[in-house]
Amino acid sequence: MPDDSHSDSTDDASREMWQLGGTHRKVDAMERMRGITRYTDDIKLPGMLHGKIKRSPHAHARIVSIDTSRAEAMEGVFGVVTGQDFKIPYGIIPWTPDENALAVDKALHVGDGVAAVAAIDEDTANEALAAIDIEYEVLPALFDPEESLASDVQINPYSRKGNLSKKVLLEFGDVEGGIEGADLVVEGEYFFEGTTHAAIEPHCAVAFVERGGSGGDDGLLTVWSATQVSHYLHRELAKVLEIPAHRIRVIQPPLGGAFGGKSEPFDLEFCVAKLAYKTGRPVKILYTREEVFYSHRGRHPMRMKYRTGFDKTGKIKAVDARTVLDGGAYSSFGLVTTYYSGQLLCSPYEFGAYRFHSRRAYTNKPACGPKRGHGSVQPRFAIEVQLDKAAVELGLDPIELRRRNDMGDGAKTVNDFQIGSNGFLECLRRVEESSDWKDRRGTLPFGRGLGVAGSTYISGTNYPIYPNDMPQAAVQVCLDRSGRARVFSGANDIGQGSNTMLAVIVGEELGLPLEDIRVLSADTDLCPVDLGAYSSRITLMVGNACMQAAQALRKKVRQSVAKRWEVSARRVTLAQRKAIDIEDPDRHIDIAEAFQMAEEDHGLLGEVGSYNTPKDRHGDYRGGTIGASPAYSFTAHVAEVEVDEETGVVDVKTIWVAHDCGRALSRRIVEGQMEGSAYMGFAEALMEQHIVDPQHRGVHPAPSLLDYRIPTFLDTPELRALIVEAPDEQGPYGAKEAGEGPLHPSIPAIANAIYDAVGVRMDELPFTPPKVLAALEQRRAREAAGEIAPHKGSARRIA
Amino acid sequence: MSSPSPATLLSLRVNGEPVQVAVQPHHTLLEVLRYQLDLVGSKQGCDKGDCGACTVQVDGEPQLGCLTLAIHAHGRDVTTVEGLAAKGEGGVHPLQDAFDRWDAAQCGFCTPGILMSAEALVRKTGRPVSNGEVRSALAGNLCRCTGYTKIIDAVVEASERMAAGDGAESANDASSSPSQAAE
Amino acid sequence: MLRMPKFAVQTPQTVEEAVDALSTPGARIVAGGTDLLPNLKHHLEQPPVLVSLSQVGGMQGVEVDEKAGVMRIGARVTLTAVAEHPAVLEHFPSLAQAAGIVASPLIRNMGTLGGNINLDTRCRYVNQTGFWREAIGGGCLKSEGDVCHVVPGGRVCVAAMSSDCVPVLVSLDASVALVGPGGRREVPLASYYKSDGTRHTTRADDELSTEIIVPLPTAPRRSHYAKWTVRGSIDFPLVSIALRFDLEEDRVDAPVTGAHVVVGVLGSKPRKITRLDEVIGTALSAPNFANTVAERVHKQCKPLENVPYEAPYRRQMLRVHTRRAIEALIAEG
Repeated sequence: MPDDSHSDSTDDASREMWQLGGTHRKVDAMERMRGITRYTDDIKLPGMLHGKIKRSPHAHARIVSIDTSRAEAMEGVFGVVTGQDFKIPYGIIPWTPDENALAVDKALHVGDGVAAVAAIDEDTANEALAAIDIEYEVLPALFDPEESLASDVQINPYSRKGNLSKKVLLEFGDVEGGIEGADLVVEGEYFFEGTTHAAIEPHCAVAFVERGGSGGDDGLLTVWSATQVSHYLHRELAKVLEIPAHRIRVIQPPLGGAFGGKSEPFDLEFCVAKLAYKTGRPVKILYTREEVFYSHRGRHPMRMKYRTGFDKTGKIKAVDARTVLDGGAYSSFGLVTTYYSGQLLCSPYEFGAYRFHSRRAYTNKPACGPKRGHGSVQPRFAIEVQLDKAAVELGLDPIELRRRNDMGDGAKTVNDFQIGSNGFLECLRRVEESSDWKDRRGTLPFGRGLGVAGSTYISGTNYPIYPNDMPQAAVQVCLDRSGRARVFSGANDIGQGSNTMLAVIVGEELGLPLEDIRVLSADTDLCPVDLGAYSSRITLMVGNACMQAAQALRKKVRQSVAKRWEVSARRVTLAQRKAIDIEDPDRHIDIAEAFQMAEEDHGLLGEVGSYNTPKDRHGDYRGGTIGASPAYSFTAHVAEVEVDEETGVVDVKTIWVAHDCGRALSRRIVEGQMEGSAYMGFAEALMEQHIVDPQHRGVHPAPSLLDYRIPTFLDTPELRALIVEAPDEQGPYGAKEAGEGPLHPSIPAIANAIYDAVGVRMDELPFTPPKVLAALEQRRAREAAGEIAPHKGSARRIA
Repeated sequence: MSSPSPATLLSLRVNGEPVQVAVQPHHTLLEVLRYQLDLVGSKQGCDKGDCGACTVQVDGEPQLGCLTLAIHAHGRDVTTVEGLAAKGEGGVHPLQDAFDRWDAAQCGFCTPGILMSAEALVRKTGRPVSNGEVRSALAGNLCRCTGYTKIIDAVVEASERMAAGDGAESANDASSSPSQAAE
Repeated sequence: MLRMPKFAVQTPQTVEEAVDALSTPGARIVAGGTDLLPNLKHHLEQPPVLVSLSQVGGMQGVEVDEKAGVMRIGARVTLTAVAEHPAVLEHFPSLAQAAGIVASPLIRNMGTLGGNINLDTRCRYVNQTGFWREAIGGGCLKSEGDVCHVVPGGRVCVAAMSSDCVPVLVSLDASVALVGPGGRREVPLASYYKSDGTRHTTRADDELSTEIIVPLPTAPRRSHYAKWTVRGSIDFPLVSIALRFDLEEDRVDAPVTGAHVVVGVLGSKPRKITRLDEVIGTALSAPNFANTVAERVHKQCKPLENVPYEAPYRRQMLRVHTRRAIEALIAEG
């Protein structure tokens, strides 16, 4: 780190790292495998009631009347709430508070919450829901974003611009000039179908109000929630319930997967809190799987029109993008998504000039939001297929074309983002080599193909969601005289292993094995504020904060030992549960003894570290901060597919995933993120569709894990993780993100491999067998008419 | 209030111990395990047989707790993830140990169910299993985090160790001296 | 959790007791529960009592009765056991194949053959929660409503027979033994199913399927079950074809003496393909044999939008998978 306060005056930074870069047993995995870990639904409190939410069966309807008296009179029913209990709107983005915990006047999609009950058990709660009488006036519903933008029917009552949720138009350089002067212009229209997160743990929340204790007669509200943003939940609870934040405690228990699907407040958290106040008893709500689909906040469907100009060497001269985002009923993160749909595209390739025009529309569907690779997976699909089309037209190897456009280390993007380290070329080299691209690509028979794609992603965002100049991340580390460490972090470990990442850093600096380190996270009473698990921010931001605190403690410990040994602190290192004299390794003491020496000298050993982002790495224009990150990761994939020309079935054999994570702090965890990302992209490419059925009143046709098909063990290809390390000076020990970037290229790499295999372009997701087959039939017809030559010169079995 | 159905007294063995519990006829085994016996290791992901997070063993066979009537467990031997460790030496089953070393559990929510399917596979096979055998045997268990790769690696390796008579590595040894990952 | 309606459970010890228990109006049988429980959780029915077969003695054997020339498979034999049983593998490989790819390993460990032949018909507009069915306007012919969402104006439910084993068993001329108050009867599966998705078998409410009887082959044959789904596991079939060809000699180039092709997941009953006489007498491996059969299948089968996948594609794939199945049989020799 450039900042002096971070460095150790008796620097041994050149020392051999003993924890970093190794493989680790995660600090919290074994209890999960023993079934001991308490996820949110595993919490059981004395007197706990069970809540259920009544949902609108209409896609768009005014609530004419709502009568809860029958439900309230039922034996075993302790409390009922409606939209009237939550009139203050909220929203994860402070500029777009456009949703209520329960519908106040109108329900905006099938499954929108309208009332909730708390009862003695789930059966009674369901009976109470049935006893709530609601009269609706059904309103016209809009399911197509273009139609919605043109309609006079306003969907979201808080919207200021009809059904336009957000519009962004940004231009950098002379786009029309670049297109006109290009040797080749590739035009394409792409459609990315919506998909959802489908974490295996459904959302769940429990609330309890303790009265007469530290919260006084008003009580202290504790909310346990399966959230990935406990801090924002804390803020929104305070706002909507009109309770001071200091009387609310939010705890995120261990989480069963999130992927962006738990990154904003949901109706159940407000409902359990309010019902706990009303009833005086703890209240739990667990979503059914169907409700998880209605809560959604998954990937936006996007229709994207691209024009890309190239010179004959394959250099990108200009990119022109027009995108319509289908946002669903609420804003969610939509303001950011709309920017991201354009802003995150400007690396790893140099664009001569760039313009994007993105509009997000409200529709009567479950709201879209952030899913792994927020906002940029869709345009990445479009641009990477555009590049592949250009490579074909120009007769260039697609990897070579990408190399020629690489922007390199320390570049500035066309939209003025400062790039730091850049391992993209190495990523390309690794996938090229591992897939045996050079020897195999030209020789694979018809039906078999290789495709490549690249991408960039952010390691957190330089500007927090609500404007403030305070640190984005903070960590407190305490050592005790028994030779152990405690780490307090507000960050949300959602299964990605961030608690282990912190333990690795503390272990590295303090000489401790991971089992001597206790990481206490995501509890607003115990931990410093952290903004949460989104935008791949934790390794870089929380890692830096943790490193700062751990290094300050390391310095104290080494100095205290050195003083007693009467040597320079430079000679003392901490590793293997010991303090060791580097020049005389036989001289060492237990780490506990070393901590005791430091405690004698300094008193209680505790340090805080905090991290704030650089504020000079973005563009000086409206929106120029959105998408700016301290550091950027890079990824390249090669996918190998086999396409069945008669059925249209695409069998993805292998995906090679090379990812520049700066520095792998824990290798298997990084590999796991890469494999999991590649899997999720593969799933979106071939199977997943989060849609509603306009022919049937806007119902979700597949709100279950049977009909919303996610790949099983038998469907998932071999995934080969290839770690690339281009350390970035902004990252702790050089580390950048690894959890979202590696998803992006899966989809275009598969699309490009399909083209290589059978010569058809799949510009609409997902690449289902009927769609692939239809494309193959079109191509065959054109071949038969002599319009195009057979792909790979194939002699077809089928006429 | 929802009127209670007459409860039935159920006798079964859970993780080797005799258990008696009063259950309602319309309750599932998963519900009884989680909310009455407080064995929360078995998870609920879909509650209708589509995800496998609730997999437990009934008389040694992996089954779905969410689709098993509690009454059907009467007189049976039920093993949940909480009972798995007892099947290994030193309080940890070789599968748990291998999952730990391979970071095969990310969020860990599907892991209990996957372990129960995997244990039946390695026990019945009694020899090292192949990648393909693991994929087939675990095809009713969904995982959304891992891409399955590390799970397959862990099950294959555990089966090799078990066939060779090796147990689990000491957790302390492994994390004290992290090994560089072999590529 | 998804809550089931309240019901009582009876656990008879014998078939006779089970039949007695079924005399309660609305009583439903439960064995593996993998079909019934999701339907109960969706509140598709509210039986006052479930008659559990868990304690009923017998019904769990697989027995080759050489004298009668049949195999008898107890209705409670699990699909896993059917798929792995050596005698089933030897005599009825297509049945082992079908039982071995039902849903997922977990479902197969629980689900029984009796349950699979009585699997309730399925429809994208039916197998949903009560809330969902309310949202499309109040259910349909098979649930709470009186309309059909698959065939506009339709008065007969077309929910799909979605069992993997049924087409195979029909192709093998299997029968089901039903025991009721009036005694035992055997019904050929070919006539067991009806064109009414709300009640698609001829089993009376108080009858229990106790065993499946499959005639042992009397001549050489080749058989196969072709299934296509989006995923390699968990899914119900979207394309489902059972094939059986009897041969004059045990060679694929010997003349075919009988052709039985049965297709599932169309309407509420399996469809036996007719007009296959023109392939009788020619060799399985003869040029055009596979295509001729595939064309018959394609012509006679018109999948509906009753299950969640595009019907025109499913129809196209019936032809492809039929032809490929025959080609695979030829390749195996």
